[in-house]
Amino acid sequence: MDLFLNFVASGLVIGSVYGLIGMSFAIIFRTTSVLNFAQGEVMMLVAYVSWTLAHTLHFPFWLLLPTTILLAPLIGMAIERLFIRPMSGQPIFAIVMVTIGVAIVLRSLTILVWGHEFEGFNVPFSGGVFEIGPVFLLTEQLAVLILFAVVSLLAWAFFRFSRVGMAMRATSQDETAALLMGIDSRRMSSFAWGISAIVSGLAGIMVSVMFARAPDMWHFGLKSFPATILGGLDSPIGSGFGGLVIGVIGELSAGYIWNGLKEISGLILIIVILMVRPYGLFGEKELERV
Amino acid sequence: MRTGNHIESYPRHIALSDSVVVWFWLAVLMMALIMLPAVSGLFVLGLAIRILIAAVGAIGLNLLTGSTGQISLGQSGFLAAGCYTTGLLIADYNWPPELALPMSGFVTAALSLLVGIPSLRLKGLYLAITTLAFSFIITQFLLFAEPITHGPYGVRIENTTFFGVDLARPTALYYFCLAVLVLVTLGVLNIMRTRVGRAFNAIRDHDIAARAMGVNLTIYKLTAFGASSFIVGLAGGLMAFQFRFINVDIFSVTLAIEALAMIIVGGLGSVAGAIIGAAFIIILPEVVGDAIALLPDAVGEVLANGALEVKGLLIGLVIILTLRLEPDGLIGVWRNTKRYWSRWPLSV
Repeated sequence: MDLFLNFVASGLVIGSVYGLIGMSFAIIFRTTSVLNFAQGEVMMLVAYVSWTLAHTLHFPFWLLLPTTILLAPLIGMAIERLFIRPMSGQPIFAIVMVTIGVAIVLRSLTILVWGHEFEGFNVPFSGGVFEIGPVFLLTEQLAVLILFAVVSLLAWAFFRFSRVGMAMRATSQDETAALLMGIDSRRMSSFAWGISAIVSGLAGIMVSVMFARAPDMWHFGLKSFPATILGGLDSPIGSGFGGLVIGVIGELSAGYIWNGLKEISGLILIIVILMVRPYGLFGEKELERV
Repeated sequence: MRTGNHIESYPRHIALSDSVVVWFWLAVLMMALIMLPAVSGLFVLGLAIRILIAAVGAIGLNLLTGSTGQISLGQSGFLAAGCYTTGLLIADYNWPPELALPMSGFVTAALSLLVGIPSLRLKGLYLAITTLAFSFIITQFLLFAEPITHGPYGVRIENTTFFGVDLARPTALYYFCLAVLVLVTLGVLNIMRTRVGRAFNAIRDHDIAARAMGVNLTIYKLTAFGASSFIVGLAGGLMAFQFRFINVDIFSVTLAIEALAMIIVGGLGSVAGAIIGAAFIIILPEVVGDAIALLPDAVGEVLANGALEVKGLLIGLVIILTLRLEPDGLIGVWRNTKRYWSRWPLSV
């Protein structure tokens, strides 16, 4: 039982990372119906920038966090402005292909600038151990869980109550009607990219604190697809919880069945789910006129 | 006065091209390709072999993504399946290479039907993610199922004798790949002119409309997956002869993106485009690599150390620029140029 609880706990930790990235997929998708294949790379870039602030410029942690939260949306919005906005009006297929191109460009640029080395990311709270009953958690793992809870809550409140959040929901429901109501849909797309860069950037910092600031961090972007498919591409909160589920299933299957399943159990799960429900568990079936 | 290109007899209608000029230049191209090993060095020959194999793979992917409109991000998985089938059958089961290579096509096609079945209900992005997931599952299987696949240790292929010709010799491998490419090109060009090919295009343009017109989606989507993956599997099998030591690391996500880049740059849905795109994507990093060597030392050294990254950067930029400036790809540029010349001075 103790072992089981520890598997669940570490599953929740890694699942929080998947969930945060899944959330940022969903934030962009629900506003612009574009699946951003470059999310893992945006996360990596933000984490690298933040690492430079912390280790080269020696920002203290209380200053580092707000600075990163301010810088991340700039990075996200710049990518949207440079690569995605000029494609508006093109088929979704072309825009998604552009995000794949952006992904490989960002990844290569980041590695060219920062090099291939793995570097530790030190924060004041890392290194301690928490004991909750039979479960052992490192302080940074606990921090991920707390971060996930806070971001989910904020995201929910943002989409539920704030003017911008409501405007983004309106854009996703009916772009023409939203335009008629005076909502600038281009600005909404820009906001979506900015906000999702914050969410995935925070995930990126936590990944580099838990493991290392490493040139293969972008893999987390691909590994988070199951989370957002499970929770619904158009539901940020659903994607977050999808991440937790995928994380726990991954750890349990690796622990009890076969070590090789850790990376792919989530993928197998979504293939099965998509076969039964082609629009995801919580996605809505589209009706199409010919 | 010329009023258009009228086809007046059945043989002319059936011919792949009825233009003497096209046949003439194709003959010149074939002659040049046949003469190449006699004049080129080993480096150019290696590059040519890579282009030929990539072109086979790109034609396969194009049949699925360009002609049938089913986006696949799982090409690296299918290539890996083909490559390992050939490699393992030769190395562990002592199959003759003559049988192992076609087998890699059949095994990959069978695997693709597994992906094809969910594709019957999935569209667009969901399909792309499913194929991506499948390619991860395939590479993870290859890495972890050590008793069958040698896992992380890779497979070494000793026996490369194909009908008495040793494919370990670059010249022999070059001619062999060329032959496969010609066969595959002819095959796909002809498929696209039949009922099956027209059904593929109908599904790409609108699958529900195609169904209303009497195209059986189940059969034709699965045919597209099978045919495309058969060709991709062959390309994978050729890769086994090219490397002679295969390892899972070759088949990364980047390979799948390169494959997509080839058909996007060449022009979606066009066989010639796939071949041109393959050549472009393989040659571009080499040319740029040479250009970087000419740069001042300080800059050049940084870029030379990150050769892989520079390559990635180029491929990404090429994808972005093609989609932004010329969505029809290089073959679209060619068509526009051709139209400009033939309609001059009335061309726009």
